[in-house]
Amino acid sequence: MPSVSRSSLGYLAATAVLLVAVLAFPSLAPNPYILSVGIVVLNYAVLSTSWNFVGGFIGYISLGHGALAGLGAYGTGLLVTKAGLPSFVALLAAALMVAALALPIGYAALRVRGASFVIVSIALVLILLLVFQSWASLTGGSRGLNVPRPFPDLLRPEHHRVFFFLFAGLLGIAMLTWWAIDRSRFGLGLKAIREDEDKAESLGTPTFSYKLVVFVVSAFFTGLAGGLYALWFGDLDPVFQFSILTGSYMVLMALLGGVRNLFGPLVGALVVGSALEYFKVQFGDTQLHLVATGLLLALVVLFMPDGVLPAIGSLAARFRPAQSSIREVTQAELRESRLAERGPVPAGAGANGKEDRG
Amino acid sequence: MPSGALLFQSVILGLLLGGLYALLAAGLTLYFGIMRVVMIAHSAFLILAAYLAWWSHSRLGIDPLLSLLVTVPLFFACGVLLQRLLLARLRPATMTMMSVLLTFAIAVCVEGLLGYVFTGTQRRIQLGYGSASFEVLGARVAVVKLIAFGLAAVSLLALYLLMKRTTFGWALRATIQHRDAARLVGIDTDRVAGFGFGLGLATAAVGGTALSLDTTIYPSLHWHWIGPLMAIIVVGGLGSVPGAAAAAMVLGLLQSLLQIPLGTTWAQTVFYIALFATLAFRPQGFFGGRLAQRF
Repeated sequence: MPSVSRSSLGYLAATAVLLVAVLAFPSLAPNPYILSVGIVVLNYAVLSTSWNFVGGFIGYISLGHGALAGLGAYGTGLLVTKAGLPSFVALLAAALMVAALALPIGYAALRVRGASFVIVSIALVLILLLVFQSWASLTGGSRGLNVPRPFPDLLRPEHHRVFFFLFAGLLGIAMLTWWAIDRSRFGLGLKAIREDEDKAESLGTPTFSYKLVVFVVSAFFTGLAGGLYALWFGDLDPVFQFSILTGSYMVLMALLGGVRNLFGPLVGALVVGSALEYFKVQFGDTQLHLVATGLLLALVVLFMPDGVLPAIGSLAARFRPAQSSIREVTQAELRESRLAERGPVPAGAGANGKEDRG
Repeated sequence: MPSGALLFQSVILGLLLGGLYALLAAGLTLYFGIMRVVMIAHSAFLILAAYLAWWSHSRLGIDPLLSLLVTVPLFFACGVLLQRLLLARLRPATMTMMSVLLTFAIAVCVEGLLGYVFTGTQRRIQLGYGSASFEVLGARVAVVKLIAFGLAAVSLLALYLLMKRTTFGWALRATIQHRDAARLVGIDTDRVAGFGFGLGLATAAVGGTALSLDTTIYPSLHWHWIGPLMAIIVVGGLGSVPGAAAAAMVLGLLQSLLQIPLGTTWAQTVFYIALFATLAFRPQGFFGGRLAQRF
C-alpha cells in the first residue's frame, strides 16, 4: 500500500532528523541558559507525550496531569531526603507509586464518561495542592523542598548536559511505548473507545479496564517526568508542582501538535515551550502570560482541534495527486486490500463500509 | 467537645454558605443540562462579578448591591454570546471534552485580565454595615452573610418559578430533556439554549456580588470555588437542579461543621472526598436521573 510505506518512510525520516537534532543540541547551545531551556522543552515534551496516552488514545481530556507530575516530583524528593534512597531508585519507586495511586483515581474517574473524568482531574490538582501546602511537617509546605543533586561533583553546564540526555532518553522510551500501543490490538480497542464508546463496548471491548490500564501507563510516565524534573531542578514548591496551569500546558501542547500523531506532543512542546520561555524573558512575570495561554488554547480548540501536523498533512495532500485523505487507511485502499485478500468479490460488496468520523 | 453555641453557630454559617453554593451550582447544572458542558469559567465570572462590585463601591461609591443592576444583564448577554458564538461552533461528537477546554481557556483569560487590570492585590469591600451582626440563640450572625444568603435564596426562587411557571421555562426544560423532540414541537432550541446559558451566567453575577460583601477577593480565587462546585454537581447528580441544591446545602453544612475540629484548610477536603466517594460507589450521583448515568 503506497500511503503506508510513505508514512512509515516519513516516520523514519522524522525520527532520524529528531535524533540528530537532539544529539547535536547540547554542543550547539551557545550557553547553559539555552541548554536549560532545551531541558524544559524536553520535559514538556515528555509530559505532553505521557498525557497523550489518555488524551490521544481514548480522547478523555485530563486537566490534572500536572498533579501526577507533582506527585512524582515530591515522591522522588521525599524518598531521597527522608528515606535516603539513591536518586534514580527513588525516581523509579516514586513513578511506580504514582502509577499505583492512579488505580483508585482512575477507578473513580473512569467508571462513567468524560465529564466526570474532567471534574476528577481538576479536583485532583486542587486537593493535592491543599494537602501539600498544609502538611508542612512532611513536605516543607510553602517553604519548598530541596532535593539533593544526583551528581554532586558535576559543574552546572555538565549537569545540564547529562540531564538533557536523560530527558531525551525518557522521551524516547515514552514515544516508543506510545508507538507500540498505537500499533497493537490494545491500541485499536482504545481508539475504538475514542470514536464511539458505546459501540466499542457492544463489540466486546473491555472499555473500563482498557481505560484504566492506559491511564495507569500515562500516570507512570508522567510521574517519571516529574521525578526527573525534581532531580534536575532540585527545588520544589507546591504552588508550581500542583498548578492547574502545568496540566493545561500539556493539553495545549498535545492539541496544538495533534493528539493522534506520535510526534504531535513533541511539536507542540517545541512551539509552546519555547514561546513560554520567550514570554518569560520578554514580559517578565505579568498576568498577561495567562491571557496568552488562554487565547492560544481557545484558538486551537475552535479552529484547529486536530492539531498542526494533520493540518500540514492535509495541506501537503492538496498538492499531491491521487491522495486526497488524511486518514490512515482510506476506504478505497481498504477495499483493494480486502479484494486482494479474499480473491474476487462481487462488485460493491467491499465498498459499503461506513465513513469513519476522523 | 465544642460547646452547643459554637455548633449552632457553625450550623447557621453552613446553611448560609450552602445557599450561595446552591445558587452557583444551579447555574453549573443549567449549562450541563442544556449542552453537556462542564463550565469551568463559571467561578471565574463569579470573581469577575465580585471585582465589579468592589470597583463600583470603591471607585464610584455605589453600594455593591446596586452593581447587580448592571452585572446581571451584562452577564446574561455574555452567556448568550458565549453559547451562540463559541460553544455552538464545536463539533457535537467531541462537545463535552472540547467545551471543557474552551471554558478553561476563558477562565484563564478572565483570571489573567483581572490580574492585569486590578493587580494581584487582595481586595475587600469596607461597608458601613460590614461588621454589624445580631444574635440568635447565642449564635452571632453577620448581617452581610444574611444579605448574601437572601440574595441567593431570592434568585434561586426566581429561577425555580421561571423554570416551572413560564412558557420559556417549559421550553428550556423541554430542551434539556430532549432537544430533538423539543425542536419537533416547535421550540427554537438554539435560542432557548442561548438564553439558558445567559441565565446560568446571571447566577454567577448574583453570586459574585453576594461573595464580595464579606470575602477578600483576588484573581486566582476562582480555583477555590470551582472545585467545590464541581464536586457538588457530581454528588447531586449531573444535570439535576434540586440534587445540586440539596448537595450544596449538605456539603456546605459539613464543611462548616468540620472547620471546628480541622481548621479551614482541611475542612475543604470534604468536597473532594465526597466527590471521589460518590464516583466510586454511586457514579450517577445521589439525585441524578437517566441523564447522569452516562456522564
